[in-house]
Amino acid sequence: MKKYILQRLVISVITIFVLATVSFFLLRSLPGSPFQTETLLSVETEARMMAYYGLDKPLLEQYLTYMGNLLHGDLGYSLKYTNRTVNSMIASAFPISATLGLISLAVAVPIGLFLGVVSARKRGKTVDYLCVFISVIGVSIPSFIMGSFLQYIFAVKFQLLPIAQWKSLKHMVLPTVALSLSLLASLTRVMRASMLEVINQDYVKTARAKGVPEDKVVTRHEIRNAMVPIVTMLGPMVASVLMGTFVIEKIFAIPGLGQHFVNSITGLDYTMTLGLTIFYGSFLVLANFIVDIAYGIIDPRIRIEK
Amino acid sequence: MNKTTNILLPNAFEFVEDPQLDSDSITRPSVTFWKDVWRRLFKNKVAMLGLFIITIITILAICVPLFSEYTYKGQDLVNANALPSSTHIFGTDNLGRDMWVRVWVGARVSLAVGVFGSVIPSLIGIVIGGISGYFGGKLDMLIMRFIDVAMCVPSMIYIILIMLFIGSGPISIIIAFALTGWMGSARSVRGMILQLKEMEYVLASKALGASSASLIFNHLIPNTLGIVVVSMTMGIPSAIFYEAYLSFIGLGVAPPTPSWGQLSNAGIAVFRVYPSQLMIPSALISLTMLSFNLFGDGLRDALDPKLRS
Amino acid sequence: MSKRILEVKNMHFSFYTYAGEVHAVNGVSFHVDQGETLAIVGESGCGKSVTVQSIMKLTPTPPGKLKQGKIEYMGEDITHYTQKEISSMRGKEMSMIFQDPMTSLNPTMRIGHQIAEGILSHENISKEKAKQKAIEMLIKVGLPNPEKNFMSYPHQFSGGMRQRVMIAIALVCNPKILFADEPTTALDVTVQAQILELMNTLKREFKASVVLITHDLGVVAKTAQRIAVMYAGKIIETGTARDVFYDPKHPYTWGLLDSVPSTGVQSTKTLLSIEGSPPDLFDLPKGCSFAARCKYCMNICREMPPEETVMANGHKASCWLLDCRAPSVPSQKRVSRVSKLNVKEAAYVE
Repeated sequence: MKKYILQRLVISVITIFVLATVSFFLLRSLPGSPFQTETLLSVETEARMMAYYGLDKPLLEQYLTYMGNLLHGDLGYSLKYTNRTVNSMIASAFPISATLGLISLAVAVPIGLFLGVVSARKRGKTVDYLCVFISVIGVSIPSFIMGSFLQYIFAVKFQLLPIAQWKSLKHMVLPTVALSLSLLASLTRVMRASMLEVINQDYVKTARAKGVPEDKVVTRHEIRNAMVPIVTMLGPMVASVLMGTFVIEKIFAIPGLGQHFVNSITGLDYTMTLGLTIFYGSFLVLANFIVDIAYGIIDPRIRIEK
Repeated sequence: MNKTTNILLPNAFEFVEDPQLDSDSITRPSVTFWKDVWRRLFKNKVAMLGLFIITIITILAICVPLFSEYTYKGQDLVNANALPSSTHIFGTDNLGRDMWVRVWVGARVSLAVGVFGSVIPSLIGIVIGGISGYFGGKLDMLIMRFIDVAMCVPSMIYIILIMLFIGSGPISIIIAFALTGWMGSARSVRGMILQLKEMEYVLASKALGASSASLIFNHLIPNTLGIVVVSMTMGIPSAIFYEAYLSFIGLGVAPPTPSWGQLSNAGIAVFRVYPSQLMIPSALISLTMLSFNLFGDGLRDALDPKLRS
Repeated sequence: MSKRILEVKNMHFSFYTYAGEVHAVNGVSFHVDQGETLAIVGESGCGKSVTVQSIMKLTPTPPGKLKQGKIEYMGEDITHYTQKEISSMRGKEMSMIFQDPMTSLNPTMRIGHQIAEGILSHENISKEKAKQKAIEMLIKVGLPNPEKNFMSYPHQFSGGMRQRVMIAIALVCNPKILFADEPTTALDVTVQAQILELMNTLKREFKASVVLITHDLGVVAKTAQRIAVMYAGKIIETGTARDVFYDPKHPYTWGLLDSVPSTGVQSTKTLLSIEGSPPDLFDLPKGCSFAARCKYCMNICREMPPEETVMANGHKASCWLLDCRAPSVPSQKRVSRVSKLNVKEAAYVE
């Protein structure tokens, strides 16, 4: 087990290193300059700005400096937000995105799994069609449309909830609903499919044949085995949700990480984009690592192979 | 002992002459796999409804711009922001452009991006995953490591990067999808090939001296085709969604060319005043995605041999 | 006469699929007495498994449906028991071993817990005691190192070991009747004998009756006192092992016996097979369902299903050849290899 964790750690570090390198050179090969996109600067001012951020040095030197700083966990200064480090920007925006993400997951995961189980158990009945309908609708309506409609209905028409911003519990309701609905829908779909697979397995029949009460057949034998694909799916899902969703954050004017992702790339804010990519990548690697361990707990076959 | 037997012919208890052992003739008509799939798909009303809506939307997308008196960029500022009426079926936007025409021109873009943006990456993924899984060894390891690293980046970041490189427009979106979307399907095709390679019937035909090409075309591809077709169908709504998303953040299709995402984006700016300008394109996005999802679900159920009873 | 444990009367079971009704079981009647082993023999797809699984109500309904018939357990009619009622009987009164030990154990649950789960479902005892009982059971089924095996997972076991675990699960609550659905088919030949031996030993120890489903006549000869031969959802011949093996009455049984490979060195007889395949269960023929494959098919066989003829010693068969008007079949035509099967004489003494 120790050896396995160590091995995974080395692979993770290499992954992040490759990710940083590729993204670095890819970004820098983009046409345009970070200081030209909005206001037209004079050539001298631009040159001064480039020198200030060290962008005038040879690319390889910049790369080595960046990687050196990265080793210390320093992601550098943002090119767009004057005098703010990427670290501090992440530190202020991430908790907001993470809160929204966690609440949405806390709503979506239990409900989604529950609906998936009910749907599969009642296959072909009205309840099943209802769950399938909800989940298909959920995956078919893009979140920005869902968000706008929620705003229109609850904030504009009935004025029950604030339309945007991130201030109180009331402000959290609409973005949470908008985000969790699509999560819930895809969880329901996957759980239903997985349950249908498990329900017909021989070991479920064995459990019934030995007289295990039906509720325990469901919890101990069916759900537990059906969870395996869900766990695989949860890693990337949790990572992407906690990193913030640009659309939801834009519609509801939430100062989370998601907006920085898009704004920094379109604004050619090299350091910010790179920092966010590395942050996201590391988070995803970590999430997948946790998933693998959880996998081992759920499915002993995988545990042993390691 | 048998009361019924007394009404029998006198030769009832004679052996049948030349007893042909005819029970090999099976009374149930044998159905081939694909025939069976089609039959089940046709029986699935929900999937057929999805197909029907997709067809209608496609026909409208092709015909409406051809036969309309308006064009998608012709402005009529006097009639800006008009509500739906008999002259402008879906009303007009803030520049007085006819929404009915714009929506269906937008449908062309969105559908094209949806279909090609799903099929092309899948095809690339099938080829790479197939090669990786079939030949295995170092090449396989290299490809898989590459995918592992590449999957650690949110695909949105890559797509945006690529879009910045090659500029906006429907073709750019498809290229961006092709470059980023193949990894998932490559991985799953590789997994399937690895599984199939171990199957007895593949081993058997190998033992009988089948060539690589005949193995790939006769066994591996037909057996993975179903899953691939389903995942392509399911990929279409998500490609439509990504196009809408990209247009929504201003990177997709450049104005004045409309796409559903772009129309929704424009609609969001004014939806508190003119809700129809958001509702129409977004309803169409949702309806199309819904139809493709329903059709894909039906296709998957029809292809699942376990349901074949 | 020993006590009657189970009696099935005229059971009809069908599956309703989109293609139509599949007549899986068409009027099956049999009984099981205390301590005996009844073997149900037949080709794959003849309804053996459906018969026993629908007794325990393990076949999913729908699409399955018990159309007609009566099931009596210890004199009590359990035909219309609800899932909940039958669930409290499963494992405790009757239990089952399945064909494929590789898939019939829960891969995510420890072996010991899978055994203990059955105990805890029926007996109100502490987990510690259940564990103790499970470990005792592991010893009884011949698994070494029970403490360690208790904590193992199925994938760490071989097929034979898993089938031993299945037997442990099935017998731990001391059921009166054990349905063994092809328990040795998926195992290596060397392991098959061990598992059969184990089943026989434990059956005696637990005083349980066994219903053994198999298509392997070698297995039957080693274990069964009575045999029921099934074809196309019907029992076409039944009787003591001795009667069915040495004096088979139905042409299908003759065919089955002829298709057993003989192992003797001096054997010169060619191995025979039954031509053709079983009828389509969607659309059964109106006469005898074996008529199309029968070498001795008469005109009446194609017109009318034969009725059961009862002979001495409870030996019954459904065939028109047994009718007094039917011509007699030359006995040399019946190539019997029973002697090679070594029917256990000891089995009759019990």
